[in-house]
Amino acid sequence: MFKKSLVSFFAAALCSAASMSASAEALKVAIVAPSASNDLAFTQSIVDGVNALKEEFEIEMAITDGTFIVDDAAAAIRDYAKQGFDVVLAHGSQYGGSLKEIAPDFPDTAFAWGTSADTFGLPNVSAYEAMSNEGGYVMGVMAGKMTKSGVIGVVGPIEVGDAKLYVDGFVEGAKAANGDATVNVNYIGSFGDVALAAEAGRSHIANGADVMTGTAQMVVGAIGAARSKDVAWFGTQANQTKLGKKVVVASQVYKWEVILRDIFNDAKNGVLGGKLHKVDLANGGLTIEFNDKYSLDAGARKAGEEAMAAIMDGSLKLSH
Amino acid sequence: MTDVFTTTIVVATIASGIRLATPFLLAALGEAIGQRSGVLNLGVDGVMLLGAFAAYFVVLDTENVWLGVVAGITIGICMGVLYAVITVFLHAEQGVSGIGIYLFGLGMSDLLFQKLVGTPLPIDQFSEWSVPYLSDVPVIGVMLFQHSPMVYIAFLLVPVVAFILNRTTFGLNVRAVGESPESADSLGVSVRRVRFCTIIAGNALAGLAGAALAIELGIFQQNLTNAMGFIAIALVYFGAWRAPGVMAGALVFGMVGAIVLQAKTLGLIPRSASDIAAMAPAIITILALVVVANRFRQPAALTKPYFRGD
Amino acid sequence: MTHSDSQQVDSALPASSIETSLEKAPMLEMCGITKRFPGVLANDNVSFDVRAGEVHTLLGENGAGKSTLMKILYGLYQPDEGELRLHGKPLRLRSPLDAISHRIGMIHQHFMLVPTLTVAENVALGLPSQRGPLTDLKRVSRRVNELSDLYGLQVDPAAFVWQLAVGERQRVEIIKALYRDVQLLVLDEPTAVLTPQEVDDFFTILHEMKRDGRGLIFISHKLQEVMDLSDRVTVLRHGRVEATTTPAQTTRNDLAALMVGRQLDSATRGNRASLTSETPEVFSVNGLRVAGDRGVDALKSIDLQVHAGEILGIAGVSGNGQRELAEAVTGLRPILAGDVLVDGSAITGMTPKKIREAGLSFVPEERMRDGAIGDFSVADNMVLHNHTESQFSSAGFLDFAAIKTHCSKLVQDFNVKTPDLDTPTKNLSGGNIQKLIMARELASNPRVLIAAQPTRGVDIGAAEYIHQRLLEQRDSGTAIMVISEDLDEVMALADRIAVICEGEIMGVLDAGNATREQIGLMMAGVSDAANSQRA
Repeated sequence: MFKKSLVSFFAAALCSAASMSASAEALKVAIVAPSASNDLAFTQSIVDGVNALKEEFEIEMAITDGTFIVDDAAAAIRDYAKQGFDVVLAHGSQYGGSLKEIAPDFPDTAFAWGTSADTFGLPNVSAYEAMSNEGGYVMGVMAGKMTKSGVIGVVGPIEVGDAKLYVDGFVEGAKAANGDATVNVNYIGSFGDVALAAEAGRSHIANGADVMTGTAQMVVGAIGAARSKDVAWFGTQANQTKLGKKVVVASQVYKWEVILRDIFNDAKNGVLGGKLHKVDLANGGLTIEFNDKYSLDAGARKAGEEAMAAIMDGSLKLSH
Repeated sequence: MTDVFTTTIVVATIASGIRLATPFLLAALGEAIGQRSGVLNLGVDGVMLLGAFAAYFVVLDTENVWLGVVAGITIGICMGVLYAVITVFLHAEQGVSGIGIYLFGLGMSDLLFQKLVGTPLPIDQFSEWSVPYLSDVPVIGVMLFQHSPMVYIAFLLVPVVAFILNRTTFGLNVRAVGESPESADSLGVSVRRVRFCTIIAGNALAGLAGAALAIELGIFQQNLTNAMGFIAIALVYFGAWRAPGVMAGALVFGMVGAIVLQAKTLGLIPRSASDIAAMAPAIITILALVVVANRFRQPAALTKPYFRGD
Repeated sequence: MTHSDSQQVDSALPASSIETSLEKAPMLEMCGITKRFPGVLANDNVSFDVRAGEVHTLLGENGAGKSTLMKILYGLYQPDEGELRLHGKPLRLRSPLDAISHRIGMIHQHFMLVPTLTVAENVALGLPSQRGPLTDLKRVSRRVNELSDLYGLQVDPAAFVWQLAVGERQRVEIIKALYRDVQLLVLDEPTAVLTPQEVDDFFTILHEMKRDGRGLIFISHKLQEVMDLSDRVTVLRHGRVEATTTPAQTTRNDLAALMVGRQLDSATRGNRASLTSETPEVFSVNGLRVAGDRGVDALKSIDLQVHAGEILGIAGVSGNGQRELAEAVTGLRPILAGDVLVDGSAITGMTPKKIREAGLSFVPEERMRDGAIGDFSVADNMVLHNHTESQFSSAGFLDFAAIKTHCSKLVQDFNVKTPDLDTPTKNLSGGNIQKLIMARELASNPRVLIAAQPTRGVDIGAAEYIHQRLLEQRDSGTAIMVISEDLDEVMALADRIAVICEGEIMGVLDAGNATREQIGLMMAGVSDAANSQRA
């Protein structure tokens, strides 16, 4: 991992060298994120978000991924700021402490971090969060309608941040749609233990679950369990259809470009932070992407779409 | 609460514990063989990761799980040759060399994954194999005899390893070399050759453990093993360097993990205690280790490079 | 791994001639062997031979080149020059395996046994099995029993080696050699760990082996044993052969002179001031009970008294509680019960520093582990214990000038041979390191001195010097306890001798009228009382 940050460092150095010769107008954006940039989950969502804006902005992008060690991430954040990047995205709620120390040293750099709602009162830090409970609620409603056994399983990492928000929304939706359903929630205590997540999935199945969901990067294990036992799966953070073409019903996808657009525009206009940004169903920052190959019960899908509409027009208030 | 203790749940939990124990058992058996000959390999986790990636990549390409298993073992053997050259022939310090192997495996498996695969796609998993007749026995059948082939292989290796260590001339050489290499050398037993063989065997098992993990999960990602290899090393100490003891250790670790998961699923453990409970397997294993460890001595020559004539 | 002798191993012993003449052609010849190591000429044109049915002793001080020569014979080293011949045919030994296949065996000073394996497993190790890849321990055990009966070597093939006493372990080593039907056996200081009675039994076995027509190479520096056992003696010094002779043609003193290169005056006890009721008891141990490393009591309630101006010798076979005794009284090992007194006041349970301050000095058994730090300079080691005292430091800063003056004097007084005070201690010879430690420990003119194995592994010249200093210190009034496994040393130095066996004092004898036989029986566990009844 040390080697890796070193490689990324040189890559970043090359990028910045390249950007010197490129247009002076190019916006230099750096991403520091905990897992792999193609993880079909949290990290990939922010990379996809920046990539989606390459049409609108001239962007030089640099990535340091896989920095699950916070100290490595802090070093990368500081390096990018030193190299004169315009916007540094610290994509992980565990990076807040480091950012709070680093940002005051680079008053001309715009920092953004998430998922969080705290800007530390610093003028050059913005925070962003995803109202992932909204998509969670919608998929929970569908799960509640779908289940025949009346048991739904949820696999979570540790009960914090985005994972907690999503799971709470999902449970709320499932209960709203099917008051009799049992929703078993299992926080396995790890973001990285794929084997344990797989066994958590199997344990849900052994207890009768016929619909499951889960969040964070270790859920690929639980999806594997769902796949081998043919149990329906709802995904979040990215479109997980590729991980289980036969079992994935739908995924909540983060479209960070919606708020990144604001952050980038602000940065160009000299506003470096101080704001809180949110992606939600209403602003299009969250969408539900269905798997066309999965024959979803029409009634369940309808219930889901109705819930989505109700959240978007404000007629349905969630408990968060 | 009444359905909490139904047979089905108990059976499912025990089966789950056995599955969880399997990769630990494979890796720990390999480590035990090496340590009995006096070689500590802290790189198990790295070799597991490389084995896991090799298996994943081959199965992704060929859709044949057994070719994946072969790939995992092959990578393990290659890493074994590397580690043997470093520690046995160049006499490098084993602790640091092992950490080097671990870091290499961690970084290289991820790098290869990023370069050769990129987006994680699921691969074929092992299909469960029911043992004829035995799997029809009520309760026991589901618990013990409806598993993926890797589970049977891992548990069958326990008596095999025990037999090799205790009943063969090679095993006698291994035990002698781990305890008193100068005595073995003085009787014409090649310390190098014995350690070379045990390192290769140990790493092959680590590679197999990685392959078993990747194919069981049907996926690969960065740091897939999540430090399983290090737990496996602890289990070798737990098991007092004996195959049945190592198996007991792996089962305790797996069973506690499975029971905690089951209890969480059923809501028996409050959400607030969830993270503490997740540490239970490690804590219980450490406690057991403290109780057990003092009763057995480690191989006297463990971690000591052998130089003739000292 | 083929082994041409597997058949022979299981066959009966060779029915070779009972009587062998010394004039017959040598079985093994080592001709003009030279072996160099960086900076050292370990063997310089050494020629040596062994005939069937004889004991040929190699005598020499540490570093004289005995073990290098034997390692060449066992295939562990290759000679730079010279050649080996077996039954007249040139022989090349690339590894111990080659030596074993030519039926050459070696019993090393430190036994080459695997403690966690059984006797049978140790015997079978390295040999091909009749059952292919599987071990054949039943067959091995049977053969071990046969050999035991034949040579009177009582050993249980199923016992684990760690369960055996030292003497039994040695029997296992002999059985290993007999099982392989060696024609030539090297015995490297085999008697160092035995009681006098065990030595007698051991020599009987060696005579049996001679009668079978085997050639034996005996390495020792116990001159009496050498005179008793050998047919021929070759003395090595500085890597060269000084002489080859027979016991009939030489004397102990001549052999010692050949070994050291000059005539020696052996240290004698001399006259000590006779003990009277007024002679103060300076050091005593009452009801001392101490745990050993394996949790079993290593000392079971022992009592000892040492008076001013007296040397009390502790005799015993290695591993009977001597190490624990030294560690307990110097504060390095917890005391379970009992008291240790210096000048009547208890030092029990004090830290080593407090004990030193009470006037007790300690020359430890493991000099490079407990006595000195190898990488530290000679001067650093000499003030290791008291560099914080005001004479050597102030306000936490060392006074190098004062340390240097002090150490120069000590080095001179104690005849420590070192290039300078800054030389790393590990570069000195064992004897000089021991003199350094003695200098440090005696510098404070202690009330009590505990000296554990004071001359083990030290060359004869230095040993003689150390003995002299101990006697001088005694005469100046220090109470000294010498713990030694070398009975000759204890008998030469001590005024009274306490014999320890299995953590108990078997009795205390006046050195003036104690006999080796009496002490030997006590070392084997026969108490003084029983001893005198039998007499």
